[in-house]
Amino acid sequence: MSVLAIPRLHFPSTLVLGATLLALIVTAAIVGIWVTPYDPTVFAVRFRLQAPSLLHPFGTDEFGRDVLSRILAGAHLSLATGFGAMAISLVVGVPLGLIAAFHRGAVQEVIMRAVDLLIALPPVLLGLLVLAVTPPGLFKTIAAVGLVYVPILVRLTRAVALGLLEEDFVQAARARGEGALPILWHEILPNAWPPIIVECGLRVTFAILLGSALSFLGLGPQPPASEWGLMIAEGRDFLTQAPWVCLAPGLSLCVLLVSVNLVGEGLRERLDPHLRGRAHA
Amino acid sequence: MPDALTVKNAALDIEALSVAYPSRGGWLQALDNVSLAIPPGGVLGLVGESGSGKSTVVLALLGLLGPAARISAQRLNFDGHDLLREAPMLRGRRIGVVFQDTAAALNPALTIGSQLTEPMRLHLGIEPRLAWERGTDLLAELGVPRPAHVMRSYAHQLSGGMKQRVGIATALAGEPDLLLLDEPTTALDVTIEAQILSLLDDLRVRRSLSMLLVSHNLGIVDRLCDSVSVLYAGRMAESGTTRAVLHRPRHPYTKGLLAALPRPDRPHAGRLAPIPGGLPDLTKSDPGCNFRSRCAFSAAGCEQPQALRGVVHQVSCHRVDDVADESWPVEAEPPANSIAPRARLPLLQAESLSIRFGGGGWISRMLGKSAGVLAVDHVSLSIRTGEVVGLVGESGCGKSTLGRLMLRLLPARTGTLNFGGGAVEPEASRDFRRRAQIVFQNSDTSLNPRQTVGTILGRAVRWFDMATGAAVAAEVDRLLDLVRLPRSYATRYPHQLSGGEKQRVGIARALASRPEFLVCDEAVSALDVSVQAAVLNLLRDLRDELGVAYLFISHDIGVIAHIADRVAVMYQGTIVEEGPVDDVLHPPYHPYTELLLSSVPLIGRERRDSPAPSTGAVAASQGCKFAARCARKLGPVCDTLAPPVQQAGPDHAIRCHIPLSELAAVPHWLGPPA
Repeated sequence: MSVLAIPRLHFPSTLVLGATLLALIVTAAIVGIWVTPYDPTVFAVRFRLQAPSLLHPFGTDEFGRDVLSRILAGAHLSLATGFGAMAISLVVGVPLGLIAAFHRGAVQEVIMRAVDLLIALPPVLLGLLVLAVTPPGLFKTIAAVGLVYVPILVRLTRAVALGLLEEDFVQAARARGEGALPILWHEILPNAWPPIIVECGLRVTFAILLGSALSFLGLGPQPPASEWGLMIAEGRDFLTQAPWVCLAPGLSLCVLLVSVNLVGEGLRERLDPHLRGRAHA
Repeated sequence: MPDALTVKNAALDIEALSVAYPSRGGWLQALDNVSLAIPPGGVLGLVGESGSGKSTVVLALLGLLGPAARISAQRLNFDGHDLLREAPMLRGRRIGVVFQDTAAALNPALTIGSQLTEPMRLHLGIEPRLAWERGTDLLAELGVPRPAHVMRSYAHQLSGGMKQRVGIATALAGEPDLLLLDEPTTALDVTIEAQILSLLDDLRVRRSLSMLLVSHNLGIVDRLCDSVSVLYAGRMAESGTTRAVLHRPRHPYTKGLLAALPRPDRPHAGRLAPIPGGLPDLTKSDPGCNFRSRCAFSAAGCEQPQALRGVVHQVSCHRVDDVADESWPVEAEPPANSIAPRARLPLLQAESLSIRFGGGGWISRMLGKSAGVLAVDHVSLSIRTGEVVGLVGESGCGKSTLGRLMLRLLPARTGTLNFGGGAVEPEASRDFRRRAQIVFQNSDTSLNPRQTVGTILGRAVRWFDMATGAAVAAEVDRLLDLVRLPRSYATRYPHQLSGGEKQRVGIARALASRPEFLVCDEAVSALDVSVQAAVLNLLRDLRDELGVAYLFISHDIGVIAHIADRVAVMYQGTIVEEGPVDDVLHPPYHPYTELLLSSVPLIGRERRDSPAPSTGAVAASQGCKFAARCARKLGPVCDTLAPPVQQAGPDHAIRCHIPLSELAAVPHWLGPPA
């Protein structure tokens, strides 16, 4: 009968694939340290720079610590940096964007010019600026990375909200005499969040990467923490003798980034009206 | 037999065309056994509500239906060519097409010239320089001023009417024999529409073009077409000569469409006759009459297979002979529970309101670089309790802006506003917000897509403290009853409603605070006539039941004539004429009102040339703003001196230099009173 009656072959969507991978990584980060037999911080100099084997699947580093244990122990740092930074920029950026869209006068000028100023600085430089003046640490990395992505969210939120504020249902709310808060909360935000969430999903990748880059430069969590960027930095002296010390955290970072990116892309397919037709076609 | 109608040597000959699209619910039968024929030089009108399949016919003729559509036809011939196979070779060359939305049909990144000459170079193989000359000549032929300049312009630099002329020129560039016109004037003002229609009429005579005019507007079909086919839900309902179909309709659907039409020549014609219900589900095949569920005359036997009967005047109705003399029934007036016309006290008084738009950003404002446009120029207007004041004018004249100024939704530059005896401050009070509300045109954007109908109405109810707690739901039910929607609709989302239903929700939301004054901003303009009639009836009933006063903004004089007690005619930010509806629709007219009225295509009116050229001209800074377009301009006085307000009768004011006696001596554009 109908062509449409034939059931379509069902491939796991991008979202399902990414979410599964991410869930595996998060699980590993939580339960991993209890499962491994090695303490990720205790030195065992006798076993330094051992190649991957059954005992040490990812080998050992220059102090004889098991690389796999260290990667598992450090996973939560990258995850925290990525999602924490995004949460910070969300909490700061979205309200600022909404306010800038609603109050088009001096308030908007102040917010948007401040945002321009932040955008003018390269992200790594901005992170350095925040971290260089005070002793480094995980929360400061998160805050610095979060700050980097505030301008993007302010601009996005404002652009989306500006379009929505022209809609007649907002005019109707104004005609009822509603002020900024009820209009933004009831009328704008429920319509604005899909593009914002999509943007966040894709930005988490960059946030993780930037966090690791700052750690690599020594501006993140300090040794003996096993932040992946920091591990790459520590292992690079032995790159020719013991490449696994660098490669293992590097590849872990890759897998994490790909999974987060897949989730972001999947969210976009679900929520972006421009792609919706294609997804269901 | 349909074959009896087959026109010999028809330019276009369609026999039993069916088109189906795949959809979620199965195959959607967009067209079902449609037959049309256009003789060389003939003009056929194809009418029907949205969703009736009009545009599908056009796309099928162009071979642009897309790979998913299932097309079948006994014959789909154009001048001996089979369009099922050869449409891609013929479109643009021998078949030209003009679309409704010219802004979208023209490429914004290319000059008019390069788009106009492309079909000439591509299809006729004319060398570029010659094509450019031909294009310039073509624009000149279509009445485009300064054609050489327009050839080098981009689409955004042209007005809507100019763009439509360019669109027609582009369709003519391949020297076609058949022109497909898909709602060619729907997006245009009546004055521009009148020009485009006479242009098309002219072209058809000069070039002996055949045309297929697709339109929902019965007036322009009557003006331009020799024959008409009425399409309903993909099937032919009625077809015949224009005179026969539109003046002596035989199919109940055609009768219904004509009865639903508000007409400026019949002000206060009582209630309009809406057609209840909506289109049938096209995914379910049903050989019976597809109109029977909405038809006022349906009876047993209507579920029998439907066929087009008749020779010249074909009708697909089982009961055509039984209902031949019946007209579409008008709902009875609601029982006289209406509030007796109260002493009409002034409710809202606007005094000398104006607003300026544009002028660039704050930097250029500070430098005093540009002054912007005075969108509303010291307008005074008053509305009495329970009165409907119609505000009419072309797009961009400032109607909507004035409506928003009167609600204090925009900051006025000058002027005062009085409501119910007290002044309304620029920061309107909560009490004013409660008592004055607004209904919008576009029902798609006026409802928040993420809220249910219940939430939308409930928010307005709570905001004005009309009810709290559990009483909110009861109040929402009351509002849904008021606009004649089922109470179960409270749980629906806007996208689950039809256009008319969405508009009813918009009206219910505006009524939530029990206001005394409503601004209806083109509230029925986006609706099909049958639905529009129902909403207009509803608004009238609500006025009678609740005693609400309306400022009814519309570009459609027919709608204004139907609903308004008084009319204000607006031109470029100024009210040029104001008075009771009967006075405004009869001479003496302001020359602009005269132009508007003469431009309206009316069924059954003889073609008369409108009195004035209406090229959009920039108004002089002093003097009369209409002077540049005015056919009755007196002389320099019109350009230099602001026109005086003349009293043409009690309450009837005309802002013009021409003496009233002269203004009274003009033809009555709507014909003798009905």
